[in-house]
Amino acid sequence: MGQWQFHTPEGVMDYLPEECSLKRRLENKLRSVFNGRGYDEIETPGIEFYDVYAGSEEFTPQETLFKFFDHKGRILCLRYDGTVPAARIAATICRDVKPPLRFSYLGNMYRFNEAGGGRQREFTQGGLELMGLDTPEADAEMIAAAIESARELGIEDLQVSVGQVSFFKGLIEKWSLDDAAACQLQQMIDTRETVALDELVRQFGLSDTDQKILELMMNNDGSTTVIDSLLAIVDYEPCSDALNNLKSVLSVLEDYELMSYISIDLGMLQSINYYTGIIFKGFTYGLGFPLFSGGRYNGAVAAFGRDLSATGFSIGINFVMTALRRQGLIEQRKQDIVRLLYPDNLRKAAYTAADRWRRDGFRIVCEKISSENNIFPKNEGIVSDTSAESLESAFAGIENFESVIVIMEKQDKIRIYCKEC
Amino acid sequence: MKNTLTIALSKGRLAEQAIELLERAGYNCDAAKIKTRKLILEDEISGMRFIMAKPADVPTYVEYGAADIGVVGKDTLLEEGRQLYEVIDLGFGACSMCVCGPADLAGRLDQIANKRIGTKYPQIARDYFEIKKRESVEIIKLNGSVELAPLIGLADVIVDIVESGRTLEENGLTVLETIAPISARMVVNRVSMKMKADSINPLIQAVKNQLAEG
Repeated sequence: MGQWQFHTPEGVMDYLPEECSLKRRLENKLRSVFNGRGYDEIETPGIEFYDVYAGSEEFTPQETLFKFFDHKGRILCLRYDGTVPAARIAATICRDVKPPLRFSYLGNMYRFNEAGGGRQREFTQGGLELMGLDTPEADAEMIAAAIESARELGIEDLQVSVGQVSFFKGLIEKWSLDDAAACQLQQMIDTRETVALDELVRQFGLSDTDQKILELMMNNDGSTTVIDSLLAIVDYEPCSDALNNLKSVLSVLEDYELMSYISIDLGMLQSINYYTGIIFKGFTYGLGFPLFSGGRYNGAVAAFGRDLSATGFSIGINFVMTALRRQGLIEQRKQDIVRLLYPDNLRKAAYTAADRWRRDGFRIVCEKISSENNIFPKNEGIVSDTSAESLESAFAGIENFESVIVIMEKQDKIRIYCKEC
Repeated sequence: MKNTLTIALSKGRLAEQAIELLERAGYNCDAAKIKTRKLILEDEISGMRFIMAKPADVPTYVEYGAADIGVVGKDTLLEEGRQLYEVIDLGFGACSMCVCGPADLAGRLDQIANKRIGTKYPQIARDYFEIKKRESVEIIKLNGSVELAPLIGLADVIVDIVESGRTLEENGLTVLETIAPISARMVVNRVSMKMKADSINPLIQAVKNQLAEG
């Protein structure tokens, strides 16, 4: 017997009934949002070949993959996300399916990250993938679906930051910065390290206008006016194209009537070699991490040999649960189990009644009366026949009950005890 | 949760300087100045809440969103490598992160093939030697009096913060290479920056103005 017998590994957890039922309710709601938007659910294996992920190293660093070997010595890993397997499918099994492809997924992902603050190493993520449609409408569809998902799951206080990584890539090209310099600049902008700005501007020999551009990227007010301010001073086509693309996406979001959730952040520059256009993240109170994130990654399917654009998003169920808990928004689960107690001679009649009630949607536990379970609540019992209607009417007016006990008195007579909370 | 700003301070001198700066910037920090052993100090009127934390824990509090804002040394930020917004260089607590060793190693550091490095900052040492200089090194994690290590042959060199250089000098050591300048920084949680922009942006601006006035 090892010393770890009583423990679970770090970053994984048990879901006891209360939590598990909340999780299932959220998952069901999310599935119905995805379904309503016409996305078909796929399920990919929990185990993939490491090579599937090796191509997207920047997005999936090798040290964050759970790896092991198969019997032939090939490297395997646990599913890290929903996007890469979906891209694999789009480029292989579904290579002849006419685009656009709309896939959804909902399952457990595994990342060898530091756990804490709501972050787990095994966590449940749902998401959408829209492949083969490279339009502002497609990008906006993802943002709209992400917002609808969060709201449907109960998160109303929501802020969505939208950026466009091609703008930064254009700047790097225009200023002909090498990889090391680009990386330094990216880090400075991404961490809002305004401290380093003057120094880097001097080091890279940038102009005053260039410095102004960088300052605008790092400004935190989120207002959409920053796009026009930048358009006015940027004279490089790939950069202005990126900004105009962002504007088109915003105009679609206006038609969705979602602009109240949106703020602009051109300084969001994580995984910029993976993302190729629009990028967005959703935030709420009580959670130190983004609730959902997504964007356009036109290289994801191409990495598997099919030239297909792609955009998508994912939302973390565990993050939603943490946020709901911290915002005090979790509804107590209703107690709804009926305990049917029967004396020895009425066992068959009890089973028959229980079966009938279950078909009517009741949750029934059958137990033989014994000295342990015959302590009944004080409420006056209602004697009735064994139809589903009479069972229903017995606790129809009661919002929450602590327990319902049904005693089988005769073949066709039951006594119902219902204890209110 | 929505209306309070939680600020994590590094217990000690850095906290005092941070409080002084915030007061000059027009923020009432009376709650944080009470001599007490309490670790959470709350001012209900201003909606400010201060957490007194060990310096190395401040980036963690802020990354996880347990605090919205933190004041912490750049050395701790480099060592912890957290996903944060690093918005202001507060200027105080200035020193440098350096590679130090016996003076006769000056200019010859590259000749030691397999360096043993004693340090309180294993991550900074690793980033500097392995990523920046592309050298494999052996890191020996120490918790204090790091200068001892080269003296008694435990390590070839040390990576540590150098303020005046007196301790080094008195122990016959010298700065061989400078890794980075260090000073106190104001850091902000990435979500708070979005969700509480209305209270955080003015605070950043007020502190910046105060620093500009000097």
